[in-house]
Amino acid sequence: MKRTIKNESGLHAPTKTILEQERKVLLDLGNDITKVREKNDLITLFKNRIKGLFYFTHTIITLIDHKDETYYAFLLDNEGSPIRTHPRYREMVAARFSLNAPFIQAVLTSDEPVSYILEDIMDKPQSPPFLRVNYEGGVREILMTKLMKEGKPMGFIHMYSDRTDSFNPEFRGVMKGIAPQLSGAVSNIIKNEELLNKEKEKSFLLDFSSNIAAVRTKEDLMSAVRTALHKLDQKSGFVIRCINEDKTTMSAYVYDLGSAADEKSLSVLVKAKYPINDGLQNRVLNSSIPLLFNVEREIQRGITSAYLQYWKKMGFENFVGIRLRNGETNLGILLLDIEEIKIELLQGICAQISIALANIMANEQISKKQEEQAFLLDFSSALTKMRTKDELQAAIFEVLDKIMNTQLAMIRVLEDDGVHLSVFMFDRRLFGKAHADFDKLAANKIKIDETYTAQVLASKEGVVFNVDEELRSGNDYAKLWKTTGLRNMYGLPLRMGDKIIGTIWLLADFLGPLLLKGICSQITVAVANILANEKLLAYKKQLEIENDYLKEQIKTIYNFSEIIGSGESMQEVYRLMGLVAESSTTVLILGETGTGKELIARAIHNASPRKENLMVKVNCAALPANLIESELFGHERGAFTGATDRRIGKFEMADNSTLFLDEIGELPLEAQAKLLRVIQERELERVGGKQVIKINVRLVAATNRNLEEEVKAGRFRADLYFRLNVFPIILPPLRDRLEDIEALTHFFVKKYSRSTGRTIRKIAPRVIQQLRSYTWPGNVRELEHLIERSILLATDSTLSDVFIPRNADADKQEQAFLLNRSLEEVERGYIIETLKRCGGKISGTGSAAEVLQIPGNTLHSKMKKLGITKSDYFS
Amino acid sequence: MKIVVIGGTGLIGTKVVNQLRQAGHQVIAASPATGINTLTGEGLAEAMKETDIVIDLANSPSFEDKAVMEFFQTAGHNLLAAEINAGVKHHVALSIVGVDIMQNIGYMRAKKVQEELIEQSGVPYTIVRSTQFLEFIAGIANQATDGNEVHLSDVLFQPIASDDVAKFVAKYALAAPLNGRVEIAGPERFEMYKIVERYLQLANDPRTVVPNGKPAYFGGEVTHSALVPAGEAEQGAINFESWWATQAVKA
Repeated sequence: MKRTIKNESGLHAPTKTILEQERKVLLDLGNDITKVREKNDLITLFKNRIKGLFYFTHTIITLIDHKDETYYAFLLDNEGSPIRTHPRYREMVAARFSLNAPFIQAVLTSDEPVSYILEDIMDKPQSPPFLRVNYEGGVREILMTKLMKEGKPMGFIHMYSDRTDSFNPEFRGVMKGIAPQLSGAVSNIIKNEELLNKEKEKSFLLDFSSNIAAVRTKEDLMSAVRTALHKLDQKSGFVIRCINEDKTTMSAYVYDLGSAADEKSLSVLVKAKYPINDGLQNRVLNSSIPLLFNVEREIQRGITSAYLQYWKKMGFENFVGIRLRNGETNLGILLLDIEEIKIELLQGICAQISIALANIMANEQISKKQEEQAFLLDFSSALTKMRTKDELQAAIFEVLDKIMNTQLAMIRVLEDDGVHLSVFMFDRRLFGKAHADFDKLAANKIKIDETYTAQVLASKEGVVFNVDEELRSGNDYAKLWKTTGLRNMYGLPLRMGDKIIGTIWLLADFLGPLLLKGICSQITVAVANILANEKLLAYKKQLEIENDYLKEQIKTIYNFSEIIGSGESMQEVYRLMGLVAESSTTVLILGETGTGKELIARAIHNASPRKENLMVKVNCAALPANLIESELFGHERGAFTGATDRRIGKFEMADNSTLFLDEIGELPLEAQAKLLRVIQERELERVGGKQVIKINVRLVAATNRNLEEEVKAGRFRADLYFRLNVFPIILPPLRDRLEDIEALTHFFVKKYSRSTGRTIRKIAPRVIQQLRSYTWPGNVRELEHLIERSILLATDSTLSDVFIPRNADADKQEQAFLLNRSLEEVERGYIIETLKRCGGKISGTGSAAEVLQIPGNTLHSKMKKLGITKSDYFS
Repeated sequence: MKIVVIGGTGLIGTKVVNQLRQAGHQVIAASPATGINTLTGEGLAEAMKETDIVIDLANSPSFEDKAVMEFFQTAGHNLLAAEINAGVKHHVALSIVGVDIMQNIGYMRAKKVQEELIEQSGVPYTIVRSTQFLEFIAGIANQATDGNEVHLSDVLFQPIASDDVAKFVAKYALAAPLNGRVEIAGPERFEMYKIVERYLQLANDPRTVVPNGKPAYFGGEVTHSALVPAGEAEQGAINFESWWATQAVKA
């Protein structure tokens, strides 16, 4: 039952004491209110003042929220309330009660305080539950007085009593009288609270700002944000996600998910790249205000991003997402595990974080750039020192791995023909799963019109091929690329100025275009250098070889016209040479040793159209058996142990020239077979090589053996013999060209006079006679050497004596000589002979006495006895 | 049901809030004054918690072309984003009859953008397009006044009482979302200058109305029939005379 007692008008005129009391309470309260520091002080002070005058159990103040027309507890009586132990007390404190109920409407419409006996009202359908709760706490009556502000109700003061007679007219009068003052006090408290909160927020933001200003690294940022959130009593986690370089995904940048995260989930969450347009991240990025998300609802909405599932597992229900942007550029998002959004605060925090983030990212980018530049500089200076492919390869692999996090797929270089591109360098590790396919494709020589190559060469700064897209076209290369699992193939032309050097191919998910360009231009220079260097080395080697041959040629500077001898048999030789020289026919020169076979070979070469190139000579007898093959055909690097370099064979060297195979009869059978094949096919393979090399070589072979007999004896292959014996030229032995001996003698005398510095003007006719009578087993060479020796031994300008070996005749003389000698003569002759051999040394090491195995003294006495003098053995 | 009325303290808002509260719904009258601001986002997420229906009756605090556009864009964007996140099931907005044919007027362009944002948001919606309110007549007269004369055209005009608007809005809010538009209008159609003339007469206003034959609405040129529904429209119950009677009582 509502009981309103109008105390001023009608029934009871206010007594003097009541007015006095009211005045005193108002005055005291006025004083008290100025002392209020804590909001609940107001209740305490107010209660203490009233308690002295009237009886009641406790009092609270509630406030109206016009937004939803409710009222809720604002100031509580923490000491006097008898319901503090009631199980529903907490609920009552937090609850909002509708103004749309008769109980409270009556209070709102009345100008006087309104009292109710709880028993009468508390169980009515729309009555607020706190009435029953109070009743259960022993309260029996309630007095409600409304508080007004600017003509509108702002709240109520509730007085409770455990009796039903407490709220007498005097009490009501006092309550009505002090209501305005209380309203003022409550308004002030609210204002103060707002101000305090604002102040707190401001000082918080100021603190945060100064913390953020000191942030230099990701770690700093994390601790600054964590500290700030803890200060706001948000112990739970946060994640800052940044937009990745690809502009389509975001990844965790700085995070602290608190204790909720287990290691495994965390590592997955942190490493993953989440697409920006996943239906959630884009909403945050597109919203200028913080958004509150419900994990479950977002999952039900069909957002499949894995982080939601993880968060659900970790027990997060709601979270707030705010975009982080610097000016108009989105940097990322901040996700907070909170339920309540303090807009201004969050926006303040985010603005600061954004700046810090932009700074850190700029810093990181700068230091990354610096690092890259430093590395590029190192790379560049390292490249200038590189002369070999191996060094270059190591450097390129390192730079790609360290800076670009990629591996070299391939560098191809343009060949001299300007059409083909051959493999220069690649990183085998990249195609670990498809070695065989790679090798197959890599072995192919590519032409510049190959699809991908043509596109790359036509482009200015290279082409990016999407592997998946290319795969659809079914290209074999695309299939190979796919095995690496990488997304893009970057093909760039290597150009020096306008000149194309080759192409470079890199497989990666993403490569920065600027850096790529920088590295490629450096690689271009390096590759060009290496290529130039290789060419230089090749030229150098060729020159060295040519030089050797020239030297050799100078030594035996013969030519066709310088062949001495006009005898009949030589005339036949000249005729044959004249016939065959012009053609490329294989010539077989036969003749005894020293008859001048090499001279004839050179003459044939010099008379042939190939004379501009050097004739290459191989002495088959001088080659170690196991090296013949590599000597003739060359070998690749690593073809066998010790093959540390590529070697060009004599055949290849003699391309477009003449190869002179001297002493062909000494060639082992195995090598004969190989030689035969080359002669037949006119092409060869280097040892250990796969490439077939076409050659155009004219062969001139020579031997002093009777090849027919060798064939019969099985030491020479018949088929090779027939191949070689196309045009045989037989050189006559010197003993058959006695008519040429004089001319030859004169020629050699002249030649050696010049080289020894002795002038021989005349040759004694006796000498010529001597020479002509000799059999010359060593032929012209023997004659040459004999003349040389004779010139050295000549005492004046007349060559009057030659030292023809007497072997042939001496054999017979000696036999007779030996048979008709006495023992003494034999002994004497033998001792002299031995002394001569020992250089005149009689005793000691290496002496004649040692050879004869007699004591030195015995030898002395024997020499004395036999009359051997120094002149006998020093002749 | 929990219903949030954005602009719940305004002319129509107050009425809609009262009606819905009387129907027993939990209604939040949202406005910057009650701590819910769609421009800054303040209090928005909290207000949207567990909300079933949102009725957007907010108007721009400034009518300058750029400011209006910014208001409806930003507020619409923020509000719809918060609704999506909270899983709001019905968004009701009040728009204007003829909004698409009056795109030469900045305010209409902004309202059109608001409509489009709603249509594209994915939140189930009903757009209620209304004709001008009877309460606007005084304002129309004032802005057309030159000295002692009110210069107005014979553009067709079918004003509706704000009480009727509130009723319709509340009705459509509680109905299933149409995912489309409805038009509401007053029960009578006038030539604009005539109704203003009648109003001034009733109000004992000394100004005289001068027809000028130039169809315009608040300075913007419009077609003759731009302000009235082209097709079917729901009509309010309160006509001009009965409305005037209630106005007179209040005065």
